[in-house]
Amino acid sequence: MNSVSKSKVSSLKSTLHTLANPKGVKKQCELCHKPAYLQCTKCRVTFYCDTDHQQADWVGIHEKVCQLLIPIRTTMPFHSLQADRDHHCAQIQHRQELIEISRAVAQKKLFEGKYQESLPAAKLSLRCAMDVYGPSAVQLVPAYLLLAEANVGLGSLAQAEEYMSQAEWTVMKTPNCSHTVLHQLHRNLGRLYTATENLEGALLHFANDVYYASDAYGMNNIVTCGGYFLMANVFIKQGKMDIASSLYNEVARTWHSHLTTLLKTHTEGSRTLEQSFDEAQQEEADQMLRAMLEIQESSPKQDKTQNALVTHCLAMLWFLCGSPEKALEFGRKALQSIQLVPDHNLTEPIQSLMQLAAETAQHHTNQAEPCPSNNLPPSQLNTKVES
Amino acid sequence: MSASVARRQKVNFLPDINKPEKRSPAHERTSPRPRSRIQNKKKENEPKSTGIIQTPTISKDEVAMFRSSVWKNTCVELLRGGFHRSFSELSSLLRHWKEVREAAGPGSVIWQQISLEEQPTKLHTLQHYLTRAETAQRAGVWSEVYDNQLCLAQYFRDTDDMWLSSHFYQASLASAQRVKMDGGRKEAEASSNMGRVYMEEGQLDSAREIYERFYKLTAGQSWRDDGGVCLHTQACQSLCGVYTQLANLLLQADDHRPAIQTLNKAFQRAKEAGDRRVEGEVAYRLGLAYQCVGDQVTAKCFLNMYLEISTLLGDADRLGKAYKAIAKSLECEGKLNETLQYLEKFAEVSQSNNQHHHLEEACMCLGVIFTSRGQYDRGCAYFERAYEIARDLDEVPLVQRAQVCVGSAKAHSLIRKFSHHIETASHSNLRLLTAWKDRREDVFSDTTSQNTSTQQTCETSQNSSTQQTCETSQNSSTQQTCETSQNSSTQQTCETSQNSSTQQTCETSQNSSTQQTCETSQNTSTQQTCETSQNSSTQQT
Repeated sequence: MNSVSKSKVSSLKSTLHTLANPKGVKKQCELCHKPAYLQCTKCRVTFYCDTDHQQADWVGIHEKVCQLLIPIRTTMPFHSLQADRDHHCAQIQHRQELIEISRAVAQKKLFEGKYQESLPAAKLSLRCAMDVYGPSAVQLVPAYLLLAEANVGLGSLAQAEEYMSQAEWTVMKTPNCSHTVLHQLHRNLGRLYTATENLEGALLHFANDVYYASDAYGMNNIVTCGGYFLMANVFIKQGKMDIASSLYNEVARTWHSHLTTLLKTHTEGSRTLEQSFDEAQQEEADQMLRAMLEIQESSPKQDKTQNALVTHCLAMLWFLCGSPEKALEFGRKALQSIQLVPDHNLTEPIQSLMQLAAETAQHHTNQAEPCPSNNLPPSQLNTKVES
Repeated sequence: MSASVARRQKVNFLPDINKPEKRSPAHERTSPRPRSRIQNKKKENEPKSTGIIQTPTISKDEVAMFRSSVWKNTCVELLRGGFHRSFSELSSLLRHWKEVREAAGPGSVIWQQISLEEQPTKLHTLQHYLTRAETAQRAGVWSEVYDNQLCLAQYFRDTDDMWLSSHFYQASLASAQRVKMDGGRKEAEASSNMGRVYMEEGQLDSAREIYERFYKLTAGQSWRDDGGVCLHTQACQSLCGVYTQLANLLLQADDHRPAIQTLNKAFQRAKEAGDRRVEGEVAYRLGLAYQCVGDQVTAKCFLNMYLEISTLLGDADRLGKAYKAIAKSLECEGKLNETLQYLEKFAEVSQSNNQHHHLEEACMCLGVIFTSRGQYDRGCAYFERAYEIARDLDEVPLVQRAQVCVGSAKAHSLIRKFSHHIETASHSNLRLLTAWKDRREDVFSDTTSQNTSTQQTCETSQNSSTQQTCETSQNSSTQQTCETSQNSSTQQTCETSQNSSTQQTCETSQNSSTQQTCETSQNTSTQQTCETSQNSSTQQT
């Protein structure tokens, strides 16, 4: 995978001669802002100091936004017509979209644990936000937070702290900051404090995070229970297993109900999955649930109901993510643990889910066979034309 | 004050740049493990623990105390300890309150109330007990959870926040149901509390269910509460109360059969509780209910029970009630002699206890019965006694009613003789009539023995209707009397219809009879009277 993209990237670069630039125009590297010597041949608006940076950017974000950057970065001529000016405004709108795209990409990479790869996307998001909103707007905070999170993940805490301070300062300057932003800020501060082993401080921030999140999203929301999960991790570090397990219970319960409703809407076909459940969330759910399962399995006294709940969640998640084989596997596990608990109402949903998953798996294998035959007609057509 | 100033003087305004711990930001960045402000936090707290304030720096908690609301601080404090259940309970309570308030709209009672967010004492109490409850819940000690929730419920009961109190009673019931080891005692207590809440809210059906559960739980147990009262007795009493109230509702809706069934249940519980007073009360209600259905035998049975209990307790008020109710039953059965006996007992009891209202009532009833049997003189005597009592009590409706009754009774006692005189129409009779008219007394002179006493009563009751009518109309005095008595008595019935139903029935029955007699007398005699009196007057002239 990497080698493929590398070869692809190397084919996309062209050398840039600094002396050939127009006067007063300095081409800077997309990542490090040093003088650039390379240019992306696909969009011709992004520049890099060396191949490594181009490679990193390509993997991080550029692959997805290469074409989107063209209309934004090319300088606009003076518009004499209203229509042209409107068009320009539309481009600005487009830039806002770009902020969102890069943010989502960065978020997803963060959930996947690819911190280094998420950095370019986060940086692009910050840059776009700065271009649109100015240097000290509250809209920059999410981007700062992403950068901080990536840096916490990479272990460069000082850098992370710098970004966090920026974010905190911006928030403090904005009097009526929305609770969504505050929640994100506190969650990241909590992460940072956890990384620096200041557990009490981390708890304080997570508490604030949950408070704001529950205000913005509601009590039984998956966003709120993300805060609970992080809190539980801190409590585990402190050795307070009873609190942690109580929090885990809450998280599992929330996810279970959320996934159940999702599954219901999905099977009824009223909403597509992409609308209600983005990739970042999927990744987050997968990671949280698996961590919880691991901790439960390693703990001495296992709560079977809890175990079944989590495995059922995982089964539903994998079914929704489109891999029925994994869903079946987890479903089987869930069924095993639920059978050890007397009179529980979870057995039926698990069985129905497994049935669904089995059907889908069947369907997949059926589809895999006729695939070549589907491909036949164009080739036949081609041969006909050739003949 | 001066000490604090002196202490503060030691503090440098700017941090000492030569201090070894403090490093320049550049150094901080380059150092492998930077000492950031995040890690410094513990250092900041240290001086405070030693008790000497050396630096004016304040911790994040203190900043939060000033910067954010009490509500937010409480929530954050809860969450910090990992008390997520308490937090969610608290916020859902607040949200619920806000929803109810929005639904009620401005101008309602709840709109004027202060939000929980703005009452720090209550919030702190909530925080304290909720955290304790949740700690116990984590450890699986449900009895402690129950205790804490009960504390909260009682606290809010004292502060008059009924919705909160009710919520926590409900919660305590739920946790009490999970207490395994005590054989259901906590559950019984919680049910009792919850039942009381339901009773206060007026949800009788829920109260009945919960009290039945309470009853089942306490059956065969000898638990006593802090005051030493047996829980089972409490259960019986509460159940009895609920059943009685339910039966009252049914009786109001004229559902007599189900009402009697519930009252029977109530009676069983009252017996079981061993409280004679309550038992008697229920028996009385049962008796009345049976009366409504028309089952006088059973009614009397229960009323006699009530009578016995009342005599045992020596409660004159109840005794009177019992006599009266029994008398009514007997009257419905048509046993008038026995009725009279009981009514006289009623009157006796009332008189001996100076219960004038009851005495008046008894006299009226007696009067009504006597007049209906045709013993107008005795009836009249009782009515007059009732009138006097009513006058002493100074209650206008009672006085008016007594007046009308006296009037009609007297009219009835006179009309026979009067019509006799008219019918015979001899000279002496006519002279008697005219003499009677001149004297304007309500008794013919041939009955001299009664003359004096009745005259006295007439004099005492100056605004008595009979006398008035005698004065106003010389020609057709009886007609007038009848008419006025009709008018006033119909008015009276309207008024008295709001009073006790027993009297009303007596009244109406009596009423109809008087009407009939009056009408007949009008038809037969009055015309004659007018004519004859005119004749006589012309003759005289």
